[in-house]
Amino acid sequence: MSSLGLAALPEGGRADFAAIRADRRRRLLDAMAAADLDVLVLGRPGDIAFAAGVRPLFTSGSRPYSVGCVIVRDGSRVHVLADHDEGVPAEIAHDHVIGRSWNPRIASARTGQIPGLAEARRIGSAGMSTGVATLLATIAPAAQIVDARPLVRAARARKSAAEVAVIETACSLAEAGLAAMAQELRPGVTTRRLAARYWERLGQLGVTVVPDGLVACRTACRLCGGLDGSPLAEGELVSLSPSVTYGGYDATLARTLVVGGSPTAAVGKLRDRALDSLREVVTTCVPGATGAELVRAWTGAGEPAFGAALAHGVGVGIEEPIIDIGLGADEVLAEGMMLAVQGWVHEEAVGSWHHREMIQVTGAGPRLLTRPHPRAAGAAATTTSSPGAI
Amino acid sequence: MGVMFLGRAVAGGTVNGDPIPDVPDLARMRQQRSSRLRGSMRERGVDALLLLGTSAVQYAAGAAAPIVDASRATLLRPVALVLADDPEPHLFTPYREAADERIAADHIHPPLWVELDGQVADIAARLGRLVPDDATLAADEMPYPLRRALGDRVVAEGAVVLGAARLIKTPDELACLRAAQSMNEAAMRTVQDALHPGSRQSELTGILLREAFELGAGGVGVDAIWQVMPRRRSDGPWAFHGDVAYPAPSSDQILREGDVMWVDSGILYEGYASDFGRTWLVGADPNEQQREHFARWVAVMQAVLDEIRPGATGGDLCRAARKADPLSAAEGGKPWLEQFYLAHGLGVDSAEMPFFGTDLGEEFDDSFVLEPGMSFELEPVIWREGTGGYRSEDLVVVTDDGWAPLSDYTYAPYEEHRRSETAR
Repeated sequence: MSSLGLAALPEGGRADFAAIRADRRRRLLDAMAAADLDVLVLGRPGDIAFAAGVRPLFTSGSRPYSVGCVIVRDGSRVHVLADHDEGVPAEIAHDHVIGRSWNPRIASARTGQIPGLAEARRIGSAGMSTGVATLLATIAPAAQIVDARPLVRAARARKSAAEVAVIETACSLAEAGLAAMAQELRPGVTTRRLAARYWERLGQLGVTVVPDGLVACRTACRLCGGLDGSPLAEGELVSLSPSVTYGGYDATLARTLVVGGSPTAAVGKLRDRALDSLREVVTTCVPGATGAELVRAWTGAGEPAFGAALAHGVGVGIEEPIIDIGLGADEVLAEGMMLAVQGWVHEEAVGSWHHREMIQVTGAGPRLLTRPHPRAAGAAATTTSSPGAI
Repeated sequence: MGVMFLGRAVAGGTVNGDPIPDVPDLARMRQQRSSRLRGSMRERGVDALLLLGTSAVQYAAGAAAPIVDASRATLLRPVALVLADDPEPHLFTPYREAADERIAADHIHPPLWVELDGQVADIAARLGRLVPDDATLAADEMPYPLRRALGDRVVAEGAVVLGAARLIKTPDELACLRAAQSMNEAAMRTVQDALHPGSRQSELTGILLREAFELGAGGVGVDAIWQVMPRRRSDGPWAFHGDVAYPAPSSDQILREGDVMWVDSGILYEGYASDFGRTWLVGADPNEQQREHFARWVAVMQAVLDEIRPGATGGDLCRAARKADPLSAAEGGKPWLEQFYLAHGLGVDSAEMPFFGTDLGEEFDDSFVLEPGMSFELEPVIWREGTGGYRSEDLVVVTDDGWAPLSDYTYAPYEEHRRSETAR
């Protein structure tokens, strides 16, 4: 499988998004049946996009949990809160679109009219807030309210082949943005300029959603610092970490490049250490592996925590599991999961090397979705020496 | 020196006695926000305020969080804890480096994983060390794992505590809002110059962000909108409320000569939102009907601006807008979109209190009294079925004796109609 290209073709779309949506709904409805839920309420943007297939307007930051999608098992009906049908797929009929309101009383009345909600015995909600608790108590006072996060998480975790193909396309877009940044990279350039170039390139490719805005940062001082406006010096290490949302799915990767020259022997050693240690983690990512095993692979290579998750799920946005030192030890990887796995190593007086891959957990072992390196003209920079493997 | 905006004289620019500085003093801003927030806590008898929302944490702790989508902002969220008797907020964050310079080292903590079931015991233990059992606790959100960690503990609604503090902006916050708006506008000037028949929506976004980052913006608050508007509602997307469907997310749509485009963007600076809204025409000048839409929009804006002063109500603004545009009333509407509002607040969120003209109703609008330091975006919309419409937005702040604009952008190609001198 490889990336698909972005355009629809006369004989059909390259990715059959209608089939992908139908498959996702079936997974949720099956899970609802298994958990004996009459109704499933979703409020997190990723869950809503997964279930309803809506193309949301990107806004940065978290949002309070409120009802955004209601699935009624009887009749397999998906109701979505939206003001209009642009971005709402055709299979959701207009009478299943519920207009949003600023007024809790009106919102409650509209939601209450969803057939089957008032009579529901068991309602799952994949999140909770005072507002949603009040609303459900008002509309369906007799219903038992169940924490549906585990159910939704499980339905989202294992990607179908079609989903993987879309994610792979997203990877190709992120790599295209990476290549544009790599071409721009030279002494005197700022990380702001690199981010500017990244956005410009993605816009040319037809993409407007970058789910993680920190696409470039100097690794000499910080991993999670922001963009800055001071010029990069020759020999400095820069972490380029492009991310893209395409067709609702995310891709994210990170590469470290040397500004304006070949790596010194010390930098080469740092790079090898980073990639070798990360390879230990990646090879651990097989069905049945635990979070603790991933962490042991990293720490066993002699590496400490680095202030960002060692691995996390990726799909419609990022997902659980989140695995790090002291976090997610009991998580178990399953076939079909998509993970972002990253490492960051630091050597005093040399710098830091950051690297992130997207991998699919398969029965045949971890499969890399991200390509090793943009060998851009003019960017005398290097990361791995062996394409196809980290 | 007389300053004019949309043909109206701008009164003096002080807010609660202070001028809006040219450059925000970020340390003073954080200190004043902390003081406002803790004041609001004391008024409501709240000893400890736990904040989870991205903008809430930004306001309370002042630490720059990365600009990320909702999934990252939720799962990897920083959490703030404000204690009424401690001017320094506690911050639990996965982005420690971004907090270092702004928060005392002993108040920065490893992340509190309030969304993860496996962390319930850890959440309980760490909050227990900072919040005494007998303290009154409030929180803005309550995900399942946090609720479990808090056991039987009663938790008050934290959003109202925060909302009361955020409603009035300090002069430095207003300077941040103006700086964000100014960056957004400067970037948009380049986009408008580059716009031509054949441009793609996504290309315009690329140019906007390229410029915004080079100018020092923090990131994207809202995916930029470049929506091509129909002349009849029925030619656009179906809408639940029956009004014009807006906003539609952008794509790689190619723009054509004569397209009427409603433009809307928000980029962030120091956590503060901006909100740029204009109607543009692709490769064309406005025709007579389009000029008429614009003239109606200006009349509505002028009528609303004339009402803005401390003591006026949201209802006063809405009534002035309706009265200034009898044509929309004659068609059974009002000069703003049914599903939105005439005005919305702007701060660390791109739409926050106050809201005027929503379905909260006239009683709400009439009960909301303007005070110096309230900043809001006015966004009247003129629509005439058959010929389309006009929508633009401007940002104002209520001053001690009237209002002052925080936005400053031409209405081209409709009219070079803007303030005659800058207020700075």
